[in-house]
Amino acid sequence: MTGKISLSPRFLDSYRRGETFRSFFKEQPDRVFERVMRYGAPVGCRIEVHDQLPRCMDLLREQVAAVGPEQPPLAGGTVILAGKLTGGNGRFDREWFAPPGGVWLALAWADTLLPEYGRLLPLAVGSACCQAVRSCGVEAHVKWVNDIHVAGRKIGGILCETFTGGAAADRYHLIGIGINANNIDFPPDLQATATSMHAVLGRPVDLDGFARRLLAFLSYHLGLVHYCEELELRRGPDERGARQENLVVGTWRRFSDTLGRRVMYGYDVVRDPRYRAVAVDIDSSGALVLQPADGCRLVENSGEILYLDSP
Amino acid sequence: MSLAQQDIQFDEILSRYRSDPFDYVDIHAVHAGQVRFLVEEGSEVEGVSGEWKHIPGTGLFEITRERNAKVITSKTNGVVSSLNKELDGEFVEAGTKLLTIKHPLKKKEIIESILQEVLYILPAPERARYYFSMDVQSRINQKGARSVVVQHGDEIITMSLMKRDTPVYYTGEPGIIHSVYFKPGDSVDQGAPLMGVCPEEKLPLIRKIITRVKAEWE
Repeated sequence: MTGKISLSPRFLDSYRRGETFRSFFKEQPDRVFERVMRYGAPVGCRIEVHDQLPRCMDLLREQVAAVGPEQPPLAGGTVILAGKLTGGNGRFDREWFAPPGGVWLALAWADTLLPEYGRLLPLAVGSACCQAVRSCGVEAHVKWVNDIHVAGRKIGGILCETFTGGAAADRYHLIGIGINANNIDFPPDLQATATSMHAVLGRPVDLDGFARRLLAFLSYHLGLVHYCEELELRRGPDERGARQENLVVGTWRRFSDTLGRRVMYGYDVVRDPRYRAVAVDIDSSGALVLQPADGCRLVENSGEILYLDSP
Repeated sequence: MSLAQQDIQFDEILSRYRSDPFDYVDIHAVHAGQVRFLVEEGSEVEGVSGEWKHIPGTGLFEITRERNAKVITSKTNGVVSSLNKELDGEFVEAGTKLLTIKHPLKKKEIIESILQEVLYILPAPERARYYFSMDVQSRINQKGARSVVVQHGDEIITMSLMKRDTPVYYTGEPGIIHSVYFKPGDSVDQGAPLMGVCPEEKLPLIRKIITRVKAEWE
């Protein structure tokens, strides 16, 4: 299996404008859907596909940094895809196994959002990945912040970084995504905790079609963050910041199975678990509200959780 | 500035703390809304506590906007030294000063307060978790923070918010990392100091400050 994906901006754009994609958002009025998609349209405006890379994020970072004084900045929405990664890694120093058959990509998104909306991007990317996987018939869920899993087995992971580079010090959100699509063999230490779309469905998925779909969902969900910001800015100064359900957070709730679960929380929960609690809510900023046994409430805006119970 | 001049300033600072060893913490309305006080002038208040600083301090006031009521609690212990009673039940603008807490300073806090007037302080850009960049952490592990020199433009800290990592660059004059105010992985409020950097030529003054406060303060 080569795992090489074939995808072009035109092919992606045609899919985004089609009825099939629109049908995933039937509840959304045309006016809102079009506004959201307009914000998300830069996703995939430039797509590079490589047979293999050490890491897609590293190459993207190099491209941002290499922009000279007379050159235009790297196009926001640039996507780098690789058939396999030879040096993939997750958060901290965790390894990420990325053989042929998976979808491994990195996306550069220009940092134009207000800070309170920029912080919602990791949630939005989680919703996009989950919806893309579900659209192929796999019952995936998001675990806070944005781990994609099926019945407790990880099927996708996301890394978000902010990076400033180039002659004009352009600032981007760099989003790394890995989805286990058609790869079915995992190293022994991952066999009990990882799965793939192929393993769940019992058949391979069309990799080109899935990658295209994933980018289209990213367009929508990243666009939704910008649309939320627009709504907020349209409101009067006295109304700003008032507690109300945020569209990005509301969407994330639909894809997540975190709320109500007993969890272990930690900044690096594998190496340094901090405390047990029940995940009782997610606030409008995307922070997780946890309730330990003593009944107090802790609001965590970073870190990670492990589920301690079954859904 | 000569060391003698610094000495004069230092004496002034020290006598200021000696005559009034308190910090006066002004509490403002976090946003516009109707205010209802939960304390009175002279009330003793407690700050946050608990293993993860998860037990909130004394409730100071409730502020209501669009039928959403929010209780604002004290982050520090002390006594309410002044309170704008006339604002009780009134609608106030964001930033309106509501009360002041008189917080008794400990010796360690006095040293830190004085140091923060002398060091270059790097504040937290947002409420998030922070850790040193891999390079700085490895240098700290090898030699200790006070042997690590940082320069303008160095990537020194990583801010982690919602599983998104953002590098924080040092923007002050070159110096050594003298004080670190967070533990890697801790949640730090926006604006709270992360670390203080000291130009090497100021190190003797810093040492003198610490020695004198430790020796003279009861």
